[in-house]
Amino acid sequence: MPASQQLLLAATLIFVGALVQALLALKAGAWKQARAQFFLMALGFALQTGFIYLRGEEVRQCPIKSLPDILVFIAWSIVLLYFLVGPAFRLSLLGVFTAPLVTLMQVMAFANGFAPYKPKGPINALVELHIALALISYAAFALACITGVMYLVQERMLKRHQIGGLFYQLPPIQGLAHAIQRLVRLGLLLLSIALGISFALHLPMTKTGHVVFAWIVWGLYAVISLLMWKHFTSPRKTAWLAVIGFILPFISLWIVTHA
Amino acid sequence: MPEPTDIRSGLVCVGLNYKTTPVEVRERLAFPEAQVPAAVEQVRGLPGFEESVVLSTCNRVELYATHGLPSGKDGHAALRQYLIERFELQPEHAEALVLYNLDSAEAARHLFRVVSGLDSMVLGETEIFGQVKAAYKVALDTGTTSRALNKLFQQAFTVGKKVRNETTIQRGSTSVGSVAVDLAEKVHDLKECRVMLVGAGEMSRTCAQSLLSRGAKSIIVSNRSYDKAVELATEMKGRAMKFDEWEHALHEVDVIISSTSAPHFVIKPEQIDQVMRKRRWEPLLIIDIAVPRDVDPAVNNIEGVYLYDIDALQAIADEGRRERLRQLASCERIIEEQLEKYGFLKSPGSGGLKLA
Repeated sequence: MPASQQLLLAATLIFVGALVQALLALKAGAWKQARAQFFLMALGFALQTGFIYLRGEEVRQCPIKSLPDILVFIAWSIVLLYFLVGPAFRLSLLGVFTAPLVTLMQVMAFANGFAPYKPKGPINALVELHIALALISYAAFALACITGVMYLVQERMLKRHQIGGLFYQLPPIQGLAHAIQRLVRLGLLLLSIALGISFALHLPMTKTGHVVFAWIVWGLYAVISLLMWKHFTSPRKTAWLAVIGFILPFISLWIVTHA
Repeated sequence: MPEPTDIRSGLVCVGLNYKTTPVEVRERLAFPEAQVPAAVEQVRGLPGFEESVVLSTCNRVELYATHGLPSGKDGHAALRQYLIERFELQPEHAEALVLYNLDSAEAARHLFRVVSGLDSMVLGETEIFGQVKAAYKVALDTGTTSRALNKLFQQAFTVGKKVRNETTIQRGSTSVGSVAVDLAEKVHDLKECRVMLVGAGEMSRTCAQSLLSRGAKSIIVSNRSYDKAVELATEMKGRAMKFDEWEHALHEVDVIISSTSAPHFVIKPEQIDQVMRKRRWEPLLIIDIAVPRDVDPAVNNIEGVYLYDIDALQAIADEGRRERLRQLASCERIIEEQLEKYGFLKSPGSGGLKLA
């Protein structure tokens, strides 16, 4: 196994460890915004970064051309945004909900295998930026999905009067609702910039499947964002939209990279 | 230079608390805050005494001291006499005075339990930690502590933190007021939280005070008797509202505490449905303390509305108390481990802990 994949395997195991540690701490009722959780997530992130660097060296370009690489890049972006957004939005337990998704994406990447790339011509920085921004926007939508799950869990406990361990650790639902909105807006902004760059690159929309799907994803989240902005739906429905909505970009990645 | 005191034999604690002494006696023996510095000096000035800390709260009065007297009993007797003279107790009251007399490891164990909230009326409450810290600081600033009590109290604070960090003794709510606060905190940012009292019963007043003490932004009081609403609103630095107007302000608030004596539902789904549209679906917590209930239970079916009646609140508080009781054994085990670690469970003279 190449060194890059060894790093990714280690990162995956670390994220599994972070999840198990958090679940055990929650079960024992001793969850305290655990430093161990933060440390494990940081270690996993460092290993992911190492993978992306080594993989880039192997394929002599930014490793975001095949589905497994894209999955890892999005997983890396999710963890990056987790570190940026978690403290800013005071979203405790975000790591507990993030770790399983990141693990799943990396396991799927391993299942697909990391094939070598075709040799590539000169690197166009704008193209790389366009792709990277689009993938980071998907990571923002993924975090909106995770925050949506947190909202739905907390909302259910409040409605059913199930005041238990997890209830005390999750943030207020009002904060979660606002975080979902901000994450959707952040993702939409990044995706808008990525698509704006595609105009500058004169990428023909009809001949580039990923741009078409990116526009579909943009349209979906624009509608979700509008619904949130104008308060046409309740925060609960908004949370559901954020959760279900992420299925589309997730599937689109699959279709685009296998087309 | 005094002979070094072995804290395991020279430490005493004499006190009374809510378990041993009724409030009418406790209030007579409480040290006013301003008089505590003088009190610690008086205790330290007793013959044979070297250090002192006085802890005086609404639930307990405790004197911690180190001495070089021949036995712990002498220390207890001297402190008892001090309390009798300090508060000028009549002989019959002095004779009836029930104090606990602890020394060495028992005194240290007691202090560790107090700091950890295990000896409190509300098991696991955290306020006592700050009260002990304040009492120790007064003694430290007054200069009545030295190496032995400094070390003991630092150890106690470490133990208190350890107990709270490694167990969930302080988690969960144990009273209806604290349940209301916990729920409000999980629905809103409490600092932005606007509260409305519909009816001004004692329980709703307690809940509102709990919310305000934890930082709730504002309060509106509406009551059938407008004078009573004004009185309560003034007390809580809020706004009074006539009883026929409260419905118009529903969309302005985030928490409604209802406790009218109406024989029928006062808050109905159709009202709240309208309110939620006006609120743009911002979540609304409704606490219904009234019996018979003020709020139609169907209100809980509206999205974004979280309704808790008195039974629901009481059930949560009961579970909170049970949860804390379940944690008690773990807390006691930590305290015993720490007593062992700090050498309190060794016999005096077996080495270590010679403190000047």
